[in-house]
Amino acid sequence: MERFHPLHRALIDQRGFTVSLRRDDWEPVIRSLAGHGLEVKRRKWAPPPRTATVLVPLVRVLTADMRPEGVLSVAADLRGPTAPGKATPEQQLPVRHPVKSLKQWFVIDPWLRMRAELRDGSVLEFQVTDRIRHRKLRKTNPRGKIKFKRKSKTVQLVRVIRHLPKGAAHRRPDTPPPAWFSVRVKTGSRMVIRATGKFQGPVADPELTKAILQMTTEPFRWTPPGTITPRRKP
Amino acid sequence: MTPCTVTTGFFVLGRCGRPSVADCPRCRRRVCAEHADPQSGTCPECAAAQGYGSDDPHDPTWIVRYRRRHYEQAHASYQGGWTTYDDYDRGAFNPGDDWSYGSGDFGAGDDGGFVDS
Repeated sequence: MERFHPLHRALIDQRGFTVSLRRDDWEPVIRSLAGHGLEVKRRKWAPPPRTATVLVPLVRVLTADMRPEGVLSVAADLRGPTAPGKATPEQQLPVRHPVKSLKQWFVIDPWLRMRAELRDGSVLEFQVTDRIRHRKLRKTNPRGKIKFKRKSKTVQLVRVIRHLPKGAAHRRPDTPPPAWFSVRVKTGSRMVIRATGKFQGPVADPELTKAILQMTTEPFRWTPPGTITPRRKP
Repeated sequence: MTPCTVTTGFFVLGRCGRPSVADCPRCRRRVCAEHADPQSGTCPECAAAQGYGSDDPHDPTWIVRYRRRHYEQAHASYQGGWTTYDDYDRGAFNPGDDWSYGSGDFGAGDDGGFVDS
């Protein structure tokens, strides 16, 4: 494992990393991750499953749209929702007989944030957050026994934001976006298009990647091809 | 020098622009040495259209095949499923030009083939 890329090792040891690299510096990371299965067989030392199903595909997509000098920033925290520091304080909810007490707390897990400077001068951001609601209740059954029950509900929040370059031409698309996500637009000299989606239940990772990319399509529909002049460095 | 005309990018599409070395045997577009398939000489898009290419995102050629699939799916979800049907499929629902709602296909006393028992 010593030969692995430092970010590859960070995924194994710390289950995440926060880094900003130029476009071409991501290829050695992906190549190192691709060779993991040939070098290491033990599952304990495998990178988190979301690396291959979400992180690598999104890095591939973003780097395909970047210039060589463009910077891609990734903050990946793939420790999972049970990692310390992600749970909110417990709160007591009002109850009625036969429930004796009801505690509720949330786990907020912003496990992926990405920011890429694209070759058309715009900036694209992804934010993926898992929000899990936990409830634990204590109740008595008709024979007076104390019973405990737990429930949890997962909601995945995805936000895609595209910041257009200053003065970029844009127009509203002819057809509306799919109904399963919402779009908000902030006009001004530098237009911002934001797509927000909420998915009930933990969505399978390949489906989540597909949904993120479907949502990312929407901000690009506001700028027809060829209408944005790529930004040149002086 | 003729530049390579292979499409690059995922959302922000562009052309490769490197010096081309060959023609794609399927679509005849000029292809550079990096984009020509080493065995068949086809461009990446023709290879993806034929079903070749990798499903592994670690592979650099994955992006072309995935882009093709993504654009097909995005087209269907943004336009609705109707546009993914071809003329033959739509024809089954087309009643024809001389169809009218009131006394269209059935005559006045025609009960559509139902028989009293």
